[in-house]
Amino acid sequence: MVMGLINANPVIHEKKERRVRQAPETTDENAVEPIDQLEIFDHIRDIKDPEHPYSLEQLNVVTEDSIELNDESNHVRVTFTPTVEHCSMATVIGLCIRVKLIRSLPPRYKVDIRVAPGSHSTEAAVNKQLNDKERVAAALENPNLLDMVEECLSPTFD
Amino acid sequence: MARVLPGEWVPHVEAYVDVSRPAAQHSASVDALAALVNKDKLTLFDLVSKMEMYLTTTDHIVRSRGILLLGEILSRISVKWLDVNTITTLSDFFISRLSDWQAIRGALVGCLALLHRKQGVGCIVIADVKRIVESFLQNVQVQSLAAADRKLCFQILSCILDRYPEVVKTMDGEQLYWICEAIDEEKDPECLKLSFHVVEVVMKLFPDPSGLAAQFASEFFEILSKYFPVYFTHGVGDDLNATRDDLSRALMHAFCSTPYFEPFAIPLLLDKLSSSLPLAKIESLKYLDNCIRFYGTDRMVRHASAVWFKLKEVIFSSSPEEFLLTSGSPKDAEKNKNQMVLEALKCLKTAIMCIDSSDKDLFINLILLDEDIVNKIHSISSEEKSILSSLEDLAQLHALGSVISILSESSTYLCTRVLQEHFTQLVDILGTSTDYESRQLNTCNGSSSAADNYGALYLSVQMLTSCREVALVSYADCSSIKLAKESWWLILEKKLDRLIHFLGSFLTIDSESMQSMFRQEYVSCAVKGLLTLATFPEQCSPLTANAYEDILAMLTSVIISKFENVDLWRLSLKALTSIGSSIGEFHASQKEVIYCQTVVDKIVSLVESYDGPMPLSLRLEASYEIGTAGFNYMLRVARSLEGAVVTNISKTNGGMECTEHVAHLFECYSGQVLPWLFTSGGINELALSFAMHLLDEIKDLTMLDRIGSQGLLDSLMAGMKLLVGVCTEEQQTRIVQKAYSMVSSVIPLPLKSMAYHLLSADELVPSHTVQETALVGMLSSVIVGLRPQTPAPDMVVMINLFTVFLLNGKLPAAYALASVFNKYLHNPEFSHENQLDKILDGILERCFSTVLASNQSKISQSGNVLSKIDILSGLAWIGKGLLMRGDEKVKDISMFLLKCLCSDETLATIPSHEEESYVNDSSNTSIATSAAGAFHVMMSDSEVCLNKKFHARIKPLYKQRFFSIMMPIFLSKIKEATSMTTKLALYRAFGHIISNAPVPAVITEAHQILLVMVDSLAKLSVDIQDKDLVYNLLLVLSGMLMDEKGKECILDNVHITISVLTQLVSYPHMMVVRETALQCLVAFSTFPHSKVFPMRRKVLQAAIKALDDKKRAVRQEAVRCRQTWQSFA
Repeated sequence: MVMGLINANPVIHEKKERRVRQAPETTDENAVEPIDQLEIFDHIRDIKDPEHPYSLEQLNVVTEDSIELNDESNHVRVTFTPTVEHCSMATVIGLCIRVKLIRSLPPRYKVDIRVAPGSHSTEAAVNKQLNDKERVAAALENPNLLDMVEECLSPTFD
Repeated sequence: MARVLPGEWVPHVEAYVDVSRPAAQHSASVDALAALVNKDKLTLFDLVSKMEMYLTTTDHIVRSRGILLLGEILSRISVKWLDVNTITTLSDFFISRLSDWQAIRGALVGCLALLHRKQGVGCIVIADVKRIVESFLQNVQVQSLAAADRKLCFQILSCILDRYPEVVKTMDGEQLYWICEAIDEEKDPECLKLSFHVVEVVMKLFPDPSGLAAQFASEFFEILSKYFPVYFTHGVGDDLNATRDDLSRALMHAFCSTPYFEPFAIPLLLDKLSSSLPLAKIESLKYLDNCIRFYGTDRMVRHASAVWFKLKEVIFSSSPEEFLLTSGSPKDAEKNKNQMVLEALKCLKTAIMCIDSSDKDLFINLILLDEDIVNKIHSISSEEKSILSSLEDLAQLHALGSVISILSESSTYLCTRVLQEHFTQLVDILGTSTDYESRQLNTCNGSSSAADNYGALYLSVQMLTSCREVALVSYADCSSIKLAKESWWLILEKKLDRLIHFLGSFLTIDSESMQSMFRQEYVSCAVKGLLTLATFPEQCSPLTANAYEDILAMLTSVIISKFENVDLWRLSLKALTSIGSSIGEFHASQKEVIYCQTVVDKIVSLVESYDGPMPLSLRLEASYEIGTAGFNYMLRVARSLEGAVVTNISKTNGGMECTEHVAHLFECYSGQVLPWLFTSGGINELALSFAMHLLDEIKDLTMLDRIGSQGLLDSLMAGMKLLVGVCTEEQQTRIVQKAYSMVSSVIPLPLKSMAYHLLSADELVPSHTVQETALVGMLSSVIVGLRPQTPAPDMVVMINLFTVFLLNGKLPAAYALASVFNKYLHNPEFSHENQLDKILDGILERCFSTVLASNQSKISQSGNVLSKIDILSGLAWIGKGLLMRGDEKVKDISMFLLKCLCSDETLATIPSHEEESYVNDSSNTSIATSAAGAFHVMMSDSEVCLNKKFHARIKPLYKQRFFSIMMPIFLSKIKEATSMTTKLALYRAFGHIISNAPVPAVITEAHQILLVMVDSLAKLSVDIQDKDLVYNLLLVLSGMLMDEKGKECILDNVHITISVLTQLVSYPHMMVVRETALQCLVAFSTFPHSKVFPMRRKVLQAAIKALDDKKRAVRQEAVRCRQTWQSFA
């Protein structure tokens, strides 16, 4: 059976100019630069969409504002918006974001990934799937799925 | 000349004729034969008679090869003289062969070679050229040939047209028709380039209105027009001899070749202007520009209005969006759009300049009275549109401004007409609500700038600029402009006061009170207006002297009082500088006086004053910039800086601020002002007088006392070095003599006795007064800056003096000694070269014994240790001086330093009381540390002395040499060392040598030093003092990782290297060390996985830990490192 693309014609948004961080004004070796929203956004903005050659940023799936962070209580929440309501790729996108953050953040963090409320037809199911440790681990055991995730993540390591 | 035997060259012929041989052999045979002919070892007659069979056989393939061989040889002997008979025979032959279509290549090559021959070496006769043309037209069907043959045909054609035009002059229509046929449907780019050229030349040959060009214009143009616009996507890499630009240029020349193309070309170009392809538009604009130039007024006048309407469309086309589809990204579209507008404006300018109609008002009627233009200007002057609301409005306004200024710049008449039409009105709009007081009131109320009509402001400034351009062109006979009734000059003069007043008001009102988002535009426009007014050529400037002074005063007051507003400040400064330089251009003497009084004096006085609200850096910037306007101004600036330094020295209440102030002044003086003066005038009397002045100032003992105690000495010494450094030898001699005489008059040393021998230890004066130290410091900085050829007085006395101070731990004395020994300063006393060596030996001996002294005598006071450390670093400087000139004695010093490094080892063997050994130990450690530091001094580059600026002698590769001499010694010492402290000291010293040596040199020795390096990294990472050294060593290691040979070596020791790197990932003292260590670990990804895999777990642990680093840069590297190593699985 030939599968059509789920969203054949997505809206492409302009990539935002990378906000260049100011060189830290103090050259103090001990000054702490805490992890912030932009840093986490930098980790995930370049993840490639599973079915289009565009990044999640270009498709407006993730934005800087969709990231909530509490550095003291070691908690991150990423809320992403699938391009169409019935998008079956939502779980894959969520999985990509999770894998990327697991690899990029210190282990003390608890990462919480959700689809934006009202943006997906099976919102609750997707959220549950994405935050279930066992199911995530099981998904990553699947070599096909893992390859797909690796491919989507590859632009983020350039 | 001996002839070669046929047996030797005939095989070449056979090889060439044989098609089965490789191409390389073919070309080799032709080269060999041509060389023989060129050297007269083979005559053409012999060649042809032997080749007869090949030239006449009925086998097409062999015959064509034979003819081609002859043609190729002929084209390679183009500089060899041939007699008329040979030429005629060859021409006969090749002309007859043109009809032989199977073998045409050879005939074409031969004809081309004949045609290319120059006068003087025997060239083809005109009659034969005629016959070539005839035979060519009769027998050759160009379009039925292969591409390479077609290229030859076009080459022949263009060669005939370029070199023998008289032959073609007599052509008839049929022949021209043949050319049309030949180029029709051509597609090969190289052929096309040639064929465009052919058309160009043919058309130029027949300028007669009833001539052939006029008849055939439509035919030719029909063929050419198919190629416009040139669309050609091959890049540079395609190995073609033509680029798109070449083709486009050739086609353009063909288009412009004759005015008879005009009825066809202009409609085509105008039509293509409406194309949606940006390329087509830009090309049409370029072609149009050229065609207008070449077709002439008579033909172009009738197109003038059509051209204007089309150009107007392009210039005012509102947005770049229409090209988004065709040009990809919005940035490209923007760029295309800008280029298009530029080309269109250029084209408009050409049109106005070149179409010189009898109707003077042609363009006035077309452009100025154009309905759209009138509407636009009208809407600007109406109240509602007075404030800019969007970027689009701004773009439209700029387009309008450009059109108007192009029109008015073109001639005095047009300028006058434009000004008559609009200027008065625009300035009146500006003026209506702009009484200064009411504006101030308005701004206070916050209702402000509603009345500031940016459009009117912009347009009037644009017109001002045009007036200036016109004035620049015609300022020789400006009197006529002034006298002419209703000229632009009179119009301008009438409104001048109002305009200046208005423009000036932008500079004086407060910046915050104007809330318009285009505030910046207003201000820069106003400054531009003032600048334009002030830079009119003096002869026809509409400004009175008073008005000129007013403008300068306004700008200057901005500089003095409005430095918080950086943009305005910079703009005004730039404007003032341009005004200053324009004075020089026009030799305007009256203006110069005013400028000096109102601008230069005031700005320069900023530097002279010590206090003031303005930051010093801005004051210095302002004066330097103003100085760049002219040589004399810069001299003023230099003098005022000098004055400022001197007054600051003599000021009683100084302190830290004062020191910094003087340092800044010196920096500006020697870093900016002096270099500028050098490049533009090449005089340095200034530096001399400044140095003398400084010396005069410090003559006074109380002054010296203060300088020494306030810490001013350092900046004075630094300044003095720079000043001396730029002086010539004669000037340096004067300075050094003066400084020396001052020293010898003040310091109560037995100078006379010092002239002959070194002082013995007990003659040493234990400590010197502050004044003496300061004085010797100044003398030493004079010595540091000297050139090697400069003669210095009483050198031995000076050396002695410095030695005494060195032994008291005064570093400046060491700099001076190092410079002396590095340069071997020219001095008649040292006629035999050994003397200086002996003195050096003596000094070293003394230093060594002083440093070692207390070790034996067990008197260890802390003060003593401190001065010993200073002596050690003094030794290091002398060592550096010797090392740089490649002197052998550097070995003595480095051996001594090594001894100091290992000193606690030797002491450990001597039994001693416990408390004493404790004291001794600490003193020895600090001596060992400073001995390690000494190697850093020797290997690194320094700003203080011994560099290019101070004329040091630098032997090439001296660092590399030192590295390879010291390496084996260090390696064995490190092996021998037993105690940890000694090892650390050795590591430090060796680390300094490694990290300062050129990386390629280190890498070649990688197999020997890698383990030592890695171990040093591990051991040195404990102490925070060594953090810079750790970083530098790590950089060397990363250099090795990038090198093939280094990699091999690291591969042998991969485990230890990686474990040290993983330790450094959590190095607490320096962020860049952690970052670099992670980068090094990433670099291991290119190593064989089997080798590095065992280390994976360890590296991943370190990387995961680094994910939580406190610095962001480290975290980013950690992510990369982790990903790289994770994927090894």
